Amino acid sequence: MNEARAKVVKAKTKKVLNILITYCILIVVAFIFFFPCLWLILASFSKSGSIYSFDGFFPVEYGLDAFKTLFTDTVMYNYPQWFKNTLFIACMSCILGTVLTILTAYCMSRFRFKSRKAMMKTTLVLGMFPSFMGTIAVYLMMTQFNLINQHWGLILIYSAQAPMGYMVQKGFFDTIPYSIDEAARIDGASNFTVFVKFILPLSKPILVYTALTAFTWPWSDFILPKMLLIDRDYYTVAVGLMTLGETEFARFAAGSIFIAIPIIVLYFCLVKYMINGMAAGAVKE
Amino acid sequence: MANLSLKHIYKVYPNGAKAVNDFNMQISDKEFIVFVGPSGCGKSTTLRMIAGLEAITAGELKIGDTVVNGMEPKDRDIAMVFQNYALYPHMTIFENIAFGLRMRKIPDVKRDKDGKPVLDKNGNEIPVMRKYNKRELTEKVNEAAEILGITDYLKRKPKEMSGGQRQRVALGRAIVRQPKVMLLDEPLSNLDAKLRTQMRSEIVKLHKKLQTTFIYVTHDQVEAMTMGTRIVVMKDGFVKQIDTPKNLYKYPANKFVAGFIGTPQMNFFQGTLKKDGDSVIIDFKWSDAKITVPYSKLMKVKPQYLDGTKTVYIGFRAEDITLDEKAVKACNAKIKVRVSHSEELGTETLVYGDINMDGDGFEETSTRVIIKSAGFKDYQPDSVYEAALNIDAVHLFDIDTEENIMPRLPEYNYVDCTVNSGKVEFYGQSVALPPALNCADGLYEMLLPAEAVKPGGGIPAEIISTENINGKLLATLAVDGKKLFAVTGCLVDMQKLTQAADKKLNIAIDFKKVALRKDGKEVISPMPLVNGLNGTFAAEKSKENGNNITRYYLIINGTKAEAPEEIYKKMFAATSGRKVYNSAYRYEWTPYDIAVSENGIEAEVIETLDYGAEKFVKCAVGEQILFVKCDNALNGKIRLLPDAGKVSVVETERQIRIV
Repeated sequence: MNEARAKVVKAKTKKVLNILITYCILIVVAFIFFFPCLWLILASFSKSGSIYSFDGFFPVEYGLDAFKTLFTDTVMYNYPQWFKNTLFIACMSCILGTVLTILTAYCMSRFRFKSRKAMMKTTLVLGMFPSFMGTIAVYLMMTQFNLINQHWGLILIYSAQAPMGYMVQKGFFDTIPYSIDEAARIDGASNFTVFVKFILPLSKPILVYTALTAFTWPWSDFILPKMLLIDRDYYTVAVGLMTLGETEFARFAAGSIFIAIPIIVLYFCLVKYMINGMAAGAVKE
Repeated sequence: MANLSLKHIYKVYPNGAKAVNDFNMQISDKEFIVFVGPSGCGKSTTLRMIAGLEAITAGELKIGDTVVNGMEPKDRDIAMVFQNYALYPHMTIFENIAFGLRMRKIPDVKRDKDGKPVLDKNGNEIPVMRKYNKRELTEKVNEAAEILGITDYLKRKPKEMSGGQRQRVALGRAIVRQPKVMLLDEPLSNLDAKLRTQMRSEIVKLHKKLQTTFIYVTHDQVEAMTMGTRIVVMKDGFVKQIDTPKNLYKYPANKFVAGFIGTPQMNFFQGTLKKDGDSVIIDFKWSDAKITVPYSKLMKVKPQYLDGTKTVYIGFRAEDITLDEKAVKACNAKIKVRVSHSEELGTETLVYGDINMDGDGFEETSTRVIIKSAGFKDYQPDSVYEAALNIDAVHLFDIDTEENIMPRLPEYNYVDCTVNSGKVEFYGQSVALPPALNCADGLYEMLLPAEAVKPGGGIPAEIISTENINGKLLATLAVDGKKLFAVTGCLVDMQKLTQAADKKLNIAIDFKKVALRKDGKEVISPMPLVNGLNGTFAAEKSKENGNNITRYYLIINGTKAEAPEEIYKKMFAATSGRKVYNSAYRYEWTPYDIAVSENGIEAEVIETLDYGAEKFVKCAVGEQILFVKCDNALNGKIRLLPDAGKVSVVETERQIRIV
């Protein structure tokens, strides 16, 4: 009897120990992940602003001054304008990029044409190179098109590059049974009708995913706007914040925190559409 | 509601794989056609070609009177039910069914707001195409839903329905449009066994109600047998047989059909046939079994198989072998069977055994036998019983080609004859040979095609029986007491044969089709029905009266023959584009479609063949031999002009019949 109880106790302690270790590791990892973020938030609330006035790692005094100046002091650093610029570029690239990506993926998934395989392989290989490898070429091209220091130049680049990552969307379209297309075609639908009335409604999750990725890249990109935008008033947030002086660290932190908000909101609004299982009941699995 | 015509339909994939080979079929209105065969046999591909989901490589597909080869599926007025239902998951059942109607427009006249027709200047109604209105839609959808018993579910989404219900929705979606042809691609294979049986009869009921042409694809021979008015059995892209379920079962054209149709599978033995006077001895291989049957039962067997040396497949269905003692006593054709085990199925027992006393009865060998016997009969394993064979139901197949060697429509009469100074003597008759059949006197074997025996002429014959088989008439005649088969598809001849007074009439022989053999070698060959000429294809552009005109030519031995554009279109489609000018073709004409003329293909006359009523010229074009109908005696070089409109084109490389 005692022996059995001892066994149970032993098993219990083992279980508790297991959980303890697991959580310890999780906490350490979470700390590593969240500390920079947390530190930035704390820095944004610093009163003095300069990073040199920090008491070791953390600010000495806290206050909302940084956020205030961010929106009020717009002579040197026009943060609201930068924000508007970024929003415009991101939204436009998101719309154009999503449309292009979805169409590309649909073509690759549904149509069989010459050099389809070759194109798929080429895009895959091209995608392996870092995108900033072509920055010089892009810069030269933009000067030729007279699109330097213009938001549309950026939008064009972002939306044109978006379809390179069509693979995920193609994979999703591939899971929609082709017999649905065929049934619709026999029912009298054209290719376009099939796409709009059947494929799109069935692909909400992947549409949301595509839109989100197409939005976040221009939203947080630094290299391209830094290279292509010259006027301060045309800057995006990322480029603009880089121009802040050394003593303006709190302002920099506040700007970074603020720009994350729209994305977080967007994500929480759209996440419910990203659930899978839309195609359930179409065909026998 | 339409008939379908499939002529020489091919499907060849870019990698050269042939999915469908030379599919020919006429489907009349309201038929229920079933395509059946093992997976990968091309049945679904054929169906998808009819639907327009798959391009036709070569051939002609007609729905009603229109050639639909290049038409979009939506314009063909067909409906299709898919194996996986393919419902639209984001739409309600109502919308699923209504979608096809929403996409369609119906003819109407222009109306004002109150629904009154608007008249034009001359007081006529103005025809317009309009969409279905809401009331019509609801009415039609409800009607379809009622037929299928899904009225209560119209507001649901597909995922809320069971498999059987979903298949009903798929059927509803198809019938609501009242299509000309209903195509069903294995619609029941995703349902469980009980539901399948139920839906099977419902589909048959639906067919009766709708009075539409149905084409149904399945791999299940039971479905095929129970549902089809005609069945197409396919294998490896070839049509093996097209016939009614009863005829498929009773008269399989080859071993594949025999084995595919019917459960349990037909027993196939190997053995030899030896004709001995008025009886035939069937000797089973790897067994002591040997039976003797009267020759009258095996009269249609091709004679070359009756010499006792050629091995053939001998097929008996399980129900044509019996262990019942009374039947065994009354029967002459008996074999010994060592029983190994039996399967009791309630109403019947399947007894497994072997006609080889060392065989185990489990493995599928050429001696294993399955016998259907009455229910709950006990047969001791390992004991030997006598089994009676129903020789009327024997099926015989060639060992290599697997074709039936006892066809329902016999191809040839094999007649021993004597040629004596220009006359052929057989069956107590003496008939003058036409000059074309010029051979030395002596004994010959005459291969007399059943189709070459025709009413009218000088040979008196008695009609023993007539039989209508697939639109052709088989008449068993007796000439001087010896049997002679005549087959005809010609209505006049059919009438003459069936309505002969006193069952007696005179027959003639069409010597064009006759071959004479001596010692197994063909001395006189029949005249070929088609002439093949190898050639290429070309187009030439020219300006005439200011218009650009393209002319197309068949090029044979450097000579051009102008071809109608229609032929070019078909060839263009079949060779996928510009390859049409780089491919080699064989052009075929009957001897009647080539005329001797002043210009055209150069040919060298070899001889003139005089068949009495008709004369032909045998000539050489390069190395190719050609037969041309010509009533004048000709010599030396002539020129031939073929009728390009009647050409039949075969692409040489892929062996595809294009026109």
